Amino acid sequence: MQTLERSDESASEETVSTLRRNVLRRDRTPREYLTLGVGVLVVLGLLVWSFFESKIRTTSVTVVVAVVASGGIWVGANLLFDQVRDNYQRFNAIAYAIIGAVVGVLLHGNLITVGSGEGFLPWVLGPLAGAASFGAIGLALALNDDPQRRLAIGLGGSAAIGLVISLLIRDVYYPGLDAVAIVAYTVVLAAIGGGLSYLRKRPPVGGVLLGAALGWLIGAWGGADLGEGSIATSLVATLPVALLIGTRLGISKNLDYAERLALDTRSRATIFVGPALLFIFGLLVIPAIRTAYLSLLDRDSQEWVGLENYTSVFTDRDSLDLENWTWMFTSVPFLIGIGVLVIALIVGIQMRRTTGYAVEIGNPTMAPLIVGALLVSFGVFTALRGTIINNMWWVVVVTFGSTAMGLAIAVFADQRRGERVAKSIVFMPMAISLVGASIIWRFVYAARDISTEQTGVLNALWVGLGKLSTGSGLPTLIITAVLILILLGLFMMLAYNLTRYGVGRAVVPGVLILLVGWFFIRFIGAFGTVGVGGFKVAPDGEISAQTVNFVQEGPYNNFWLMVIMIWIQTGFAMVILSAAMKAVPTEFIEAAKIDGATDSQIFWRVTLPQIATTIGVVVTTTIVGVMKVYDIVKVMTNGQFGTQVLANNMFQEAFSFTNIGKGAALAMLIFLSVLPIMYSNIRRMQREG
Amino acid sequence: MTLSSPVITDSKPEAAPGGDDGGGGAVDRVYGFLRSIPTGFLWLIVVVWSIPTLGLFVNSIRDRDAQRATGWWKVEPGDFTLDNYDQIFAARAGLGRSLLNSAAIAIPATIIPIAIAAFAAYGFAWIDFRGRKGLFIATVSLLAIPLQVALIPALQMFNNGAHFTLPLIDKTITLIPDFDLAGTTTAVWLTHTGFAMPFAIFLLHNYISSLPRDIFEAARIDGADHFTIFWRLVLPLSIPVLAAFAIFQFLWTWNDYLIANTMIGANASEQPTTIVIANLAGDFGRNENILPAGAFVQAFIPLIVFFALQRYFVRGILAGSVKG
Repeated sequence: MQTLERSDESASEETVSTLRRNVLRRDRTPREYLTLGVGVLVVLGLLVWSFFESKIRTTSVTVVVAVVASGGIWVGANLLFDQVRDNYQRFNAIAYAIIGAVVGVLLHGNLITVGSGEGFLPWVLGPLAGAASFGAIGLALALNDDPQRRLAIGLGGSAAIGLVISLLIRDVYYPGLDAVAIVAYTVVLAAIGGGLSYLRKRPPVGGVLLGAALGWLIGAWGGADLGEGSIATSLVATLPVALLIGTRLGISKNLDYAERLALDTRSRATIFVGPALLFIFGLLVIPAIRTAYLSLLDRDSQEWVGLENYTSVFTDRDSLDLENWTWMFTSVPFLIGIGVLVIALIVGIQMRRTTGYAVEIGNPTMAPLIVGALLVSFGVFTALRGTIINNMWWVVVVTFGSTAMGLAIAVFADQRRGERVAKSIVFMPMAISLVGASIIWRFVYAARDISTEQTGVLNALWVGLGKLSTGSGLPTLIITAVLILILLGLFMMLAYNLTRYGVGRAVVPGVLILLVGWFFIRFIGAFGTVGVGGFKVAPDGEISAQTVNFVQEGPYNNFWLMVIMIWIQTGFAMVILSAAMKAVPTEFIEAAKIDGATDSQIFWRVTLPQIATTIGVVVTTTIVGVMKVYDIVKVMTNGQFGTQVLANNMFQEAFSFTNIGKGAALAMLIFLSVLPIMYSNIRRMQREG
Repeated sequence: MTLSSPVITDSKPEAAPGGDDGGGGAVDRVYGFLRSIPTGFLWLIVVVWSIPTLGLFVNSIRDRDAQRATGWWKVEPGDFTLDNYDQIFAARAGLGRSLLNSAAIAIPATIIPIAIAAFAAYGFAWIDFRGRKGLFIATVSLLAIPLQVALIPALQMFNNGAHFTLPLIDKTITLIPDFDLAGTTTAVWLTHTGFAMPFAIFLLHNYISSLPRDIFEAARIDGADHFTIFWRLVLPLSIPVLAAFAIFQFLWTWNDYLIANTMIGANASEQPTTIVIANLAGDFGRNENILPAGAFVQAFIPLIVFFALQRYFVRGILAGSVKG
């Protein structure tokens, strides 16, 4: 993010010529030869491999054919439109010839005309004839500027072609005419064509003519029972179409130079942008619209059911279960969260008195406020259950967890020895599939029968802690001593910060004392507690070890699944936030240092506000990613044990239970929930221009 | 912050770590200790982050009995065996074939979107056509669209083709014939191509649009048309961002599970690695011992790509998400 400005206006002529020289030079460096060599070896290896593996062979052939064919069309289109500017007649003739060839392929390839059939010659006959006749018309039109002659050429040529086609059509295709359909389609499409021309600020006649031609074509051929007509109906169905198009061509003018330039630009835009738009519309936009439509139909997409699929989602106990909402008040995270919020309130009042703002980015109120809100929401989510609640829980916890962890690592690693190594290890999970990550964590969470040794790290630690806490050996004593030392240190820090700096700086040690103190009390078993860790106390007072089944014990199993996502997403947040931090101008930091700010003050009051927008980007990106979480839940639980999320539910409804309507409705819910983020992205881009 | 510019340099630490230079005494020592706490915390996180993967790797080279008897941290040198890897490639698990299927998905799904998106990015950046800005924003706003919303119709299209019934005359026109793509890897990479398009265009456009205007004007004066400029100037200059996108897209498609599971599902001969190991995880008890090996084989190629080309990958992520 620093030193990125190669692209500013100061790119002098020197830079330009260097760039061009670099691009157009013919000599290559050894490194390039090496890359080239490796590339050739890889290709050769694939070829040899493909000799043995039919899968690779068919795939390579498919890909090569697809790439060569579409690349050829693409380059050909470019070459064709290269002619527009300076060789208009050639362009016109070729363009018409291509259209003619396509018409020929359509008619002849579908065995609609006489003379088509098996074999090479019959197959190319139609396209060749089409190309020749249409190309002649195109050339003639381009050579003549006189309107009357153009009209004559257009009408004459199209009449001849229409006549020949209608006579060549096989008798099994003679259409029985349906006058209503012809009239209706012609009128409607002519109106649409005229309207479109009007909107494009062109004379509407052209649009009307083309629309009418298309309408007649559809009405006469589409609406008819094929094979019931005669040569006469074939003529009636074909000739008007040809004449309408011929008239349209006849009344048009040859393009002047400015119009040719405009056509050049327009065609180039279509050639370059078109293929991408084709894929976007074909596989994203139109399917998305169709999903919206399917979500209003029943499970077989047969009957209209309105919003029933949506209401069934919201009334289903599995999706939204608010019955036990009072449970939140007994939830531990909820109560701790309230406590932290009270701390935030106290600090906020204090900050308002000293600085005038209770909450601002980077002041001491912020951290307890966020943590408190997080814990409270955690408590709420454990009481309210269901798919929708789970998704909200995922969004809150994973977004907060990965952003906070990513920020922490970015800060701690910044300019320390081993920064690169540390960062690439944290970043590594990004390269592993979500399926692979789930399997990795499956072994971390493994819980085995208590009579055998634990093979999962977490349960081994948990049971070990329980044994330490309830035991009385030397390790227990050592840990107790260490805890006491830590607590003493924290108390000293608290007292020092309170007397020296005031409430703001006392928050961190205070919260730490609460946490460590709570753990200490549980560990030594004071105040009626028994201990901490994986064990259970039988009624007769006997203590035995007990594991946690992290994946199956609700509602916290949800949290353990979220940990996997945090494990993956933290690397993403870290990379982006680290880059943003390094882009904070050093002058700001040096100025703060000169004013005597400490490292933590610089972070909270200088760096953090500077990277606030980047944090926003990370948060929104993570929310979008988490809303559609699927793989982890599918592999770990498949939605059982109260861990269902929208994406997995959608997959099951649509593809396992073949309830298309409900599956589409669930997909739409995921879409609607990220709609605000899409909207804000659009606004941001519009602002940036 | 204009990360979108051509030169995305990885920032390097400007200064050496600020350690305590010389001095002595208890205060300095305490201060030094306090300063080392964040470093300690950092390496603690790093250890926690790597333990799950490390454990899986160790377990993948221990035999079934050792895995069941003790945790991986109690590994002994005598435990090591490659039996699990042998088993995972054996016919029943079928990971070998699925590796080929994964390649058959990931390679076309990486190459084809790059070409198409590079055309479009150039078109949006340097061809001045009407409605360019609106179209571009519309395209890029699809970045955040959850792909679930397109899955059902996309699958139906691959199963049956696309048809449109004309009103009034009740005739069905076939827009896209049924190419018999249901359950094939082709359907998967076609879908990936479509879904990758907004991100690819966004990423490449950021870069291509910030190339210096002068080179385009100079080329124009020399009489080059858009095709020549694209082919001779833009493509060679865009190699870094093309590489960044290629790595990103390769990892994404290799690791994808949702689209593959939708399009291929139970068709065993076409399943990529992710489906195979997810299925192995499904019948947990029986194949527990070969699961770590399977997960490792699946992750092997992405990890190689990741560690060899991390710099480009980071570039792609930065340029893709930080636009501000």
